[in-house]
Amino acid sequence: MSYYFAMIGTRDNPIYEAELGTFKQGGDGTPKFSAEMKELNPFIIHSSLDIVEDLQWATNSLYLKIIDNYYGYYVSAYVTPTNIKFMLLHENKNEENIKQFFIEVNDLYLKTLLNPFYSVNDPIKSTMFDSKIKLLTKKYL
Amino acid sequence: MSKAVRTAADEIWKNRVEKINVELFTLTYGSVVSQLCRDLNNNYCEVNKQLEIMGENIGVRLIEDFLARTGAGRCNSFKETGEIISKVGFKIFLNIVPQVTNWTDNGKQFSLVFDENPLAEFVELPDDGKAVKELWYSNVLCGVLKGALQMVQLDVDVSFVSDVLRGHDQTEIKLRLIRYLKDEIPAGED
Amino acid sequence: MNLGKNSIYEKNLSRRNSEINISSLSFLFCEMVSYCHSNSKSISELENKLNILGYSIGAKILELNCYRENILTIKKQLKRELKIIEILQFIHTVIWKNLFSKMADELEKSQDIANEFMVIDNNPIISQFISVPRELKQLNCNAFVAGIVEGVLDAAYFQCTVTAHTVPRDGHPLRTVFLIKFDPAVIERENIRYGY
Repeated sequence: MSYYFAMIGTRDNPIYEAELGTFKQGGDGTPKFSAEMKELNPFIIHSSLDIVEDLQWATNSLYLKIIDNYYGYYVSAYVTPTNIKFMLLHENKNEENIKQFFIEVNDLYLKTLLNPFYSVNDPIKSTMFDSKIKLLTKKYL
Repeated sequence: MSKAVRTAADEIWKNRVEKINVELFTLTYGSVVSQLCRDLNNNYCEVNKQLEIMGENIGVRLIEDFLARTGAGRCNSFKETGEIISKVGFKIFLNIVPQVTNWTDNGKQFSLVFDENPLAEFVELPDDGKAVKELWYSNVLCGVLKGALQMVQLDVDVSFVSDVLRGHDQTEIKLRLIRYLKDEIPAGED
Repeated sequence: MNLGKNSIYEKNLSRRNSEINISSLSFLFCEMVSYCHSNSKSISELENKLNILGYSIGAKILELNCYRENILTIKKQLKRELKIIEILQFIHTVIWKNLFSKMADELEKSQDIANEFMVIDNNPIISQFISVPRELKQLNCNAFVAGIVEGVLDAAYFQCTVTAHTVPRDGHPLRTVFLIKFDPAVIERENIRYGY
């Protein structure tokens, strides 16, 4: 199973994107999106943003669960207290694990944000952050 | 002497220091450093200098607070100064106790090694290739030490040797006594 | 650049050593004001610089405090604030406590102007640090805290401007009113969504 994960800033700008693959059922963590899907992923996420922006005022929760689907792919969302949107494109329903994944990404984001040289909406380029995301994928997805 | 000093410092920290959450302090310092970098166009050498100047301005006032709070008298040697700085000074202002090491044979130089630094929590230097070679993020500490020691008639050269933020193994500040300043007046004694 | 074990991502968010001498903050703050003052040609420019310094840490403080609250709440409920009164109460209680070890004293809504709210601190610790010289009498160094509040509110999507005003009263000479003016769009959203 493959996942596409994006973190979107407050101006609808992506600050981090990654294609992730599952480690479960013998997977080796390599994402296996077709060429078409690779191109479409960011658009799918982007078009779901409107739904997120609407939903986030209807509930206190950070985790918004599944908010959209597209030809068999689900889009799950999570909005941090500072309105950074975590979006995950996934094939299987896995609410509890995805929620935990998002919560731990929020912790990573907080650590990134606490850096005085990082401002909100800056892209996240750290390779350490990348490795941590892959570790979380292994743990939950 | 060491243990008595530590106990006295702990007592002052516990009972005679008004405390506040460290986060505002850390974030404020971070805001200042990153603003300086912007104001000085990422000329990190200039930023280091500015941080040292700010530190000196703080140091000359901090020493009065220190003497008033601790009633400390004149130190008998530079070695004693080193102990007091690390076990009392850093303890009561930053609640950390850096290690005093690397004394030279002539007793005129030593190092402070920090295993924690409240100024630099969650800091990662900018990835521009320059910062990690040129910026001493916590350089204000050098200024504070220099300014404070000057007020007790010690002309000391204080500078960073290494910093974990730069990828080094440890954070180390070197203090080298240049000379005693003239007109020595007993500091802090009645 | 790989810092391995020194990376910020290896650090624990719950600090052991979470306190510091208030004098240390005071010294740092005074020097910060001094630096801004030397680069400013007027009081309003100085206050603006302080506001900017505070603003840059607002979002960080919001995210950090929400993290702490979420860890501490028994039901481990993760939440964001949706209404003006909720986010202001969060600032008035949780955030003030985190920064200054006390809650703010009053929270008010302006009688006359729909988009104005006030958070009031009778004895701001920031003011206690600085003795303002006579020629800078109108300066309120809480412009820094106003910046923090503005940063928090903007990050939470309650866009506004925040200014700090000294309004002494009843034996509180340093009493400071943080005046929050929300953007019209925020008020409109509030009225549409929560209908008042």
